[in-house]
Amino acid sequence: MRATQTRAVGSPGTPGGAAITSPPPASGGLPAGRRIRSTQWAAMAFAAPLIVYLVAFYAFPLYRNIELSVHDYTIRAFVQGNAEFVGLANYADIITSQTFLPALRNTALFTAVSIAFQYTIGLGLAVFFRNNFRLSGVLRGMFLIPWLLPLIVSASTWSWMLNSDSGIVNSVLQAFGIGQINWLTSPGMALVSVIIANIWLGIPFNLVILYSGLQNISPDIYEAASLDGASGWKRFWYITFPLLRPVSAITLLLGLIYTLKVVDVIWIMTTGGPGDVSTTLAVWSYREAFGTGQPAFSPASAVGNLLILIALAFGVLYLYVQRREDVS
Amino acid sequence: MTSRPRWWKTALGVFFTALMLFPVYWMVNVSFTKTKNMRADPPHWFPWDATTEGYQAVFHQQMPALATSLLIGFGSVALTLVISAPAGYALAKLRLRGTGSLNFILLVAQMIPAVVMAMGFYAIYLRLGWLNTIVGLIAADSTVAVPFGVLLFTAFMSGIPEELIQAAKIDGANTWQTFRSVILPVCRNSIVTVSLFAFLWAWSDFVFASALDRNGSMIPITLGIYKYIGSNTTEWNSIMAAAVVASVPAAILLVVAQRYVAAGVTAGAIKD
Amino acid sequence: MIRLAKSARVAAFVGVVALSGAALTACSSAGNSSGTASTGGGTYTWWDPYPQHDASSDWAKRVDACGTAAGVTIKRTAYDTTALTNQALLSAQEGTSPDVILLDNPAVSTLADTGMLNTTEGLGIDTSSIDQNLLAAGVVKDKTYGIPIGANTLALYYNKKVLDAAGVDPATITSWASLTDALAKVTAAGHKGITFAGIGTEEGSFQFLPWFWGAGANLKQLDSSQAVAAVTLWKDWLAKGYAPNSVITNSQNTTWEEFLTGNFAFGENGTWQVDSAAKAGFPTGIIQIPAENGGAAPAPTGGEFLTAPVQKATGRYATTKKIINCMTTTDGQVKTATTFAYYIPPTAAGQQQLLAQKPDLKAWVDAVKSAKGRTSDNLGTDYPKISQAMWTGVQKALSGSLSPKDALVGAQQAALKATR
Repeated sequence: MRATQTRAVGSPGTPGGAAITSPPPASGGLPAGRRIRSTQWAAMAFAAPLIVYLVAFYAFPLYRNIELSVHDYTIRAFVQGNAEFVGLANYADIITSQTFLPALRNTALFTAVSIAFQYTIGLGLAVFFRNNFRLSGVLRGMFLIPWLLPLIVSASTWSWMLNSDSGIVNSVLQAFGIGQINWLTSPGMALVSVIIANIWLGIPFNLVILYSGLQNISPDIYEAASLDGASGWKRFWYITFPLLRPVSAITLLLGLIYTLKVVDVIWIMTTGGPGDVSTTLAVWSYREAFGTGQPAFSPASAVGNLLILIALAFGVLYLYVQRREDVS
Repeated sequence: MTSRPRWWKTALGVFFTALMLFPVYWMVNVSFTKTKNMRADPPHWFPWDATTEGYQAVFHQQMPALATSLLIGFGSVALTLVISAPAGYALAKLRLRGTGSLNFILLVAQMIPAVVMAMGFYAIYLRLGWLNTIVGLIAADSTVAVPFGVLLFTAFMSGIPEELIQAAKIDGANTWQTFRSVILPVCRNSIVTVSLFAFLWAWSDFVFASALDRNGSMIPITLGIYKYIGSNTTEWNSIMAAAVVASVPAAILLVVAQRYVAAGVTAGAIKD
Repeated sequence: MIRLAKSARVAAFVGVVALSGAALTACSSAGNSSGTASTGGGTYTWWDPYPQHDASSDWAKRVDACGTAAGVTIKRTAYDTTALTNQALLSAQEGTSPDVILLDNPAVSTLADTGMLNTTEGLGIDTSSIDQNLLAAGVVKDKTYGIPIGANTLALYYNKKVLDAAGVDPATITSWASLTDALAKVTAAGHKGITFAGIGTEEGSFQFLPWFWGAGANLKQLDSSQAVAAVTLWKDWLAKGYAPNSVITNSQNTTWEEFLTGNFAFGENGTWQVDSAAKAGFPTGIIQIPAENGGAAPAPTGGEFLTAPVQKATGRYATTKKIINCMTTTDGQVKTATTFAYYIPPTAAGQQQLLAQKPDLKAWVDAVKSAKGRTSDNLGTDYPKISQAMWTGVQKALSGSLSPKDALVGAQQAALKATR
């Protein structure tokens, strides 16, 4: 990402460049060795708040989650603090549970389809809004409004709209002669419905980041391209899209990580049902811990850790691809 | 290439926006609907038989919660910026040792589900005495935004030409002064972007508020809404009214901030 | 330009921290007092699942009054029901339980099992006058862990206008067959039949139980033929269009909203909607939910129990007992009943007094007397797991993924596995 950004921004040769060929007469006249170390100190000082923050706020919850998953925390053990150590038994239990494969499949579908559509629609809109026209700023701002709403409100609104009998969507479809679709209650459509709502929720994020990425591409490049006779689609496919690749990569990765964690939308719309049809790993974890009268924290945290591992795998993949690109 | 008239783009833009915001319209519709019409089949496109009881309830009861949400939002923004901007600079320009592992840890940090974080925080906050406080909630809400902020700042700051920094060094600035007077102004747009994200995430947070600030004297609007959810009954028009009222100031903020998120990062800085 | 200079932002942050620091010290000092023993004047913490009753409501005032009568101030926090159990567990783990929690009755045995609740015998609270069927939910291994503040249950509300138009007399509905016939007549006359809550949560189980028990089925055997009959009843209604498809995701609130549109002949709902029914735009009434072959089906009890969590400072219990007794006097029970949309008092004396004030609640009082706790039959902590298996099976059957028989066989297997 680093290298590409610099390339895109414009060539060096700024005023004063000539003076930078030799180390400047350093303020204070420090010898070279000392200067490097003081930069490292400065770097650590700047990064220190972050490191303290990370340790304080992320290390403990993660540790606690792992601890929960390798003990057998019945709620009695949870309250009394005397849980038995069971090693990987919880993980074995969840993998052999009958909910595991459906949840895995649903997670894969939910995530892949959501991201594909969010990204494509976000990119399309970003390109559309690129050339400023009247009201484009206001409209672009309005696209972020879904983000403002508490999830209970947006998810509930989608539930209302997709209700089999009193929902506006079916009402409109019936006006066009299409029969009643049981969006939230039929095994075939429940997952589709939550995916649609999730796509809607994810478009603002993609739009904002991709739009910023587009703005970073210098118009000079387009001028050069149009001189060569490239237009419209070719311009997009051969210039815009490749230059956008680093931004796209991070958008897709973050989108993946956030989508893997989604619980509220699905829970409010279908509670993971009917049956297990719209249960993803995240929803399963939530349901085990909070969705029944008997909180089962250990299986819930085991599923949660599984989810983190999956996200981790993609993260590693991303960094690997990054490194290869940086080298090339 | 401005030969084509622009109005058709505006029209198309309005159409897309209307499509995207239709659920928001529906929310407003429900907020004016009487309970007996909630499940009307076929549904009412427009609340002909309107009621303002939802809004009345909100104005009488939820204004302090709105103010609290605003406070938490801005606090979260401030904390996020204070932590992530310097860190981004360290990662991008100061060649911090261990950059790779820090990046990796930041990615992992974002993978932890909110519920897991909330349960962990409960234990920590209990010992710190931060339960049911605004400070605690601000810190918790910022955990969503900080890793993202560092990522964004690192990316944008990497694109700042070295020449700018060297120019500042020639003038005798130390690292902090360079950061403050050269880097930050140039990163104005990424600051606004990160602030926007941090604010929005804090504004709509429910999980942390529910676990950590339930019996505080100041609760945010996402918890305030639960006042309308009894054990067996729910007042939907009040809930939607609360959401509408809560969205208005934030929406205005959004539209204004969009201008800054729009423009390029250093495009304006080095062009002569 | 909306961007603040960095120094201004830092100042703002410091300001926020300072302000909150002041609030923090105020809050933490209030919070710490719950750990210390206090005899006169102190703060006792109270959790209940009624967020719709805020500080200015009658309920809150009653709670405060009982506190003052016991010589202390009560700090009340309202959670939504689902969050309450988990918050109770978290705080019990940390040793910071509140002094009184109002728990939904199926949760009492679960929390009692963790050892975090006191027994009423231990506190010296007398429960002899409480109706046995209502107390049963709070009894685990012959020890009682709380007192019900009142009970509610389910019945079938009917829309008189719709029934008249279809020529149906509600008094003739005494069995499943007669109910289904009535539904057929109503839909033939152009209206909708019945609505209920089949959602995949405890609410769904709650609404399914009258039919389940009305067929003679037992929660220990989810795949019995009687259980299959109950699920098939619901499924057939959906197939014939007597019940709308939305029942699969309906909560009880949504069910009521559907009933209020005036299009439905019947809506299964509880005592808490009595006032709303009176204000509906059409005349309403109730009938008991019929059992399969005649008579009224046992309906599950809803309602919360007053419980006293275990505290480190045992000196607090004397005052806690005073508070609980204050809330459960006969007068107190009737007041709770009327504040709370008709929780029926759990004692004979309370019920009589309520009927003296509101004679038209007789049908509900009768319903509560023949109602059954969900955790009774010695199910205790097994109930939540069985319930989850049951609602999952019902959902699969109603949505058509599995036949009723297969769905319930799967449910029984899941229940057995979970309660091993």
